[in-house]
Amino acid sequence: MSSTKSPHLATEAVTPEPVEQGEPREPVEQPVPFTEPEPVEGPEPRPRATRVAEGAMLGGVCTGLARHLGVPVMLIRAAFVALLIFQFLGVIAYGALWLLLPPEPATAAPGIEAASRNGLRDQSRPKRRVDWGMLVALIAFGGGLLWLVQSSGFGISQQLFWPVAFACAGAALVWRQADSDQQKKWRAEAGGRVWLAPFVARGGWPALVRVIVGLGLVGAAFGIVLAQEGHIDQLPEVMAMTTLALAGLAVVLAPWLHRSRTALNQARADKVRADARADMAAHLHDSVLQTLAMIQRQSDDPKAVQQLARRQERELRTWLYGEESPETTLKAALTGAAAEVEDERGVPIEVVMVGDCDTSDSVQALVKAAREAMVNAAKHSGAEQIDVYAEVDDEHIEVFVRDRGSGFDLDTVSDDRMGVKGSILDRMQRHGGKANIRSRPGEGTEVRLEIMR
Amino acid sequence: MSTPVTPPAETGAAGDLTSPEKRARTGPYRVVVVDDHAMFRSGVKAEIGRTVAVVGEAADAESAIKVILGTRPDVVLLDVHLPGGGGIEVLRKVHEVNPDQKFLALSVSDAAEDVIGVIRAGARGYVTKSISGAELVDAIRRVADGDAVFSPRLAGFVLDAFSGSIDLATVDEDLDRLSQREREVLRLIARGYAYKEVAKELFISIKTVETHVSSVLRKLQLSNRHQLTRWATDRRLV
Repeated sequence: MSSTKSPHLATEAVTPEPVEQGEPREPVEQPVPFTEPEPVEGPEPRPRATRVAEGAMLGGVCTGLARHLGVPVMLIRAAFVALLIFQFLGVIAYGALWLLLPPEPATAAPGIEAASRNGLRDQSRPKRRVDWGMLVALIAFGGGLLWLVQSSGFGISQQLFWPVAFACAGAALVWRQADSDQQKKWRAEAGGRVWLAPFVARGGWPALVRVIVGLGLVGAAFGIVLAQEGHIDQLPEVMAMTTLALAGLAVVLAPWLHRSRTALNQARADKVRADARADMAAHLHDSVLQTLAMIQRQSDDPKAVQQLARRQERELRTWLYGEESPETTLKAALTGAAAEVEDERGVPIEVVMVGDCDTSDSVQALVKAAREAMVNAAKHSGAEQIDVYAEVDDEHIEVFVRDRGSGFDLDTVSDDRMGVKGSILDRMQRHGGKANIRSRPGEGTEVRLEIMR
Repeated sequence: MSTPVTPPAETGAAGDLTSPEKRARTGPYRVVVVDDHAMFRSGVKAEIGRTVAVVGEAADAESAIKVILGTRPDVVLLDVHLPGGGGIEVLRKVHEVNPDQKFLALSVSDAAEDVIGVIRAGARGYVTKSISGAELVDAIRRVADGDAVFSPRLAGFVLDAFSGSIDLATVDEDLDRLSQREREVLRLIARGYAYKEVAKELFISIKTVETHVSSVLRKLQLSNRHQLTRWATDRRLV
């Protein structure tokens, strides 16, 4: 998942690349408005191995492994089924991975999470379609293989086979119940008593049935083993004893289970309250208070007030709903540059991006040129808003900076206006790109920048 | 811009003119504002109240459905995030009863999947809440006339969603791809061009621009494309 592209990976890198070496003619270098490019470590990092809830059949181990290794998930599933046949190796491996692999962390922006929690957004997610064909094929494959091995005499003894199979199925049922989506939430709430959750928590009757059937299967396994130790004709008695033992255990544990359940409910209620407080904090975020105070102080200057409000809006929006893009992408650089110009000049700049890419020398140059175009638009056009549009495709990157301001006649721009000539046209040319300025007095200006990737 | 234009002759449902529709032809556009922030509702009312008639308000999904079905306005201004299941819930429930009801979505959130979500659920446009009063009235007029309203941001989302990585084998030619012209129109809108400017740039009429945008909207709503849902779900995890 994309959440695994952790930005801190990139920040560990140390040597900044030399920037724009061939630029001795640059008269006055603008203060560098964005961070130096940092080389990204190697190719795209491989996603960490986690258990994945989405698309999981049992514990999400196969899906997670497939994502980690970059192979089709069916291949991994088939491998586990094949391993299962031989001395239950697959089961042991799967169980160990189930315990050891961390569940995939699911995070969203705080605004989105709060909105989801408070029912402000649509919660129904598209239903996952189960690929029945594949499932049937897998079961048939496993069954066939099992039959083959067992009938060839290389398999494990019949005495052990059924008990172990029962125990595995039972344990899988209970584990799965303990591991479902909701439990992940309870895990955080209930602290250490995770293993109790399947017994204690409210999961509706399917959960209860799953746990009972699971325990029943495990009990049956024990029963069979015990019966085989003695005589097969004692099976009913041993089974009855096992059941009795389980029932006795339940009676003994009942008060404790009840207490755990109360504790869990308490923890859940606390969590809800804490969440609500966090949501409040989101709204009353420090910076908002700050901005409000400043607006009050400068209330006689509408321009300043608008600028403050705009900056606050941008900040809050990014924080609540924003996508965190790593520092080293065009998107981050371009929105960063736009935000700076907006703060400096007080003209709102709307950035729309389609696609994205990592920065390089030429991308940096492109962003600088775009920044210069924004500064020009903000300084000279008198427009109320500036639109920036960037599109990245396989071959090239295009950036448009547009205003609906006064416009100008390109031919009359004197050569000493270095902004347009040096910082935009020449800079783009040096990096093998193109810059194209369209403007007519009274019709606004559009600067089009293009480089090849 | 602020004078309401008489909508062109309706195509469907000829001869069966219910009273609200009749009024729409003579008077100002009738609008219902659905938003859970009372301050925003009164702000919108103050801004557009002189040119359109705000005939109802609602603060959550349940009351919104009641108010909309009760008043049958020309356009509903619908907040994307709304108590009781969000704007999508309102869209679904109202369209079950009255599939012709027109919605214009607006929000402060830039969450792509929520925006695309309400559009796919049937809203005829999306604008951000920072839109100016005059622009909002213009958008209302467009939606009431049966056209679509794409803000630059929405145009960007759509280009993103329909771009690149499509497995060509799975593409349903008609629905899953934007035509060259539609793409051009969307790109200009994303660059900040108004419909009028798009028309001038491409040497086509405004009506043609509107047709292209409506067609994109239709594709967005009807396309079954796996990638579209996939794209939206992925966004949630970014």
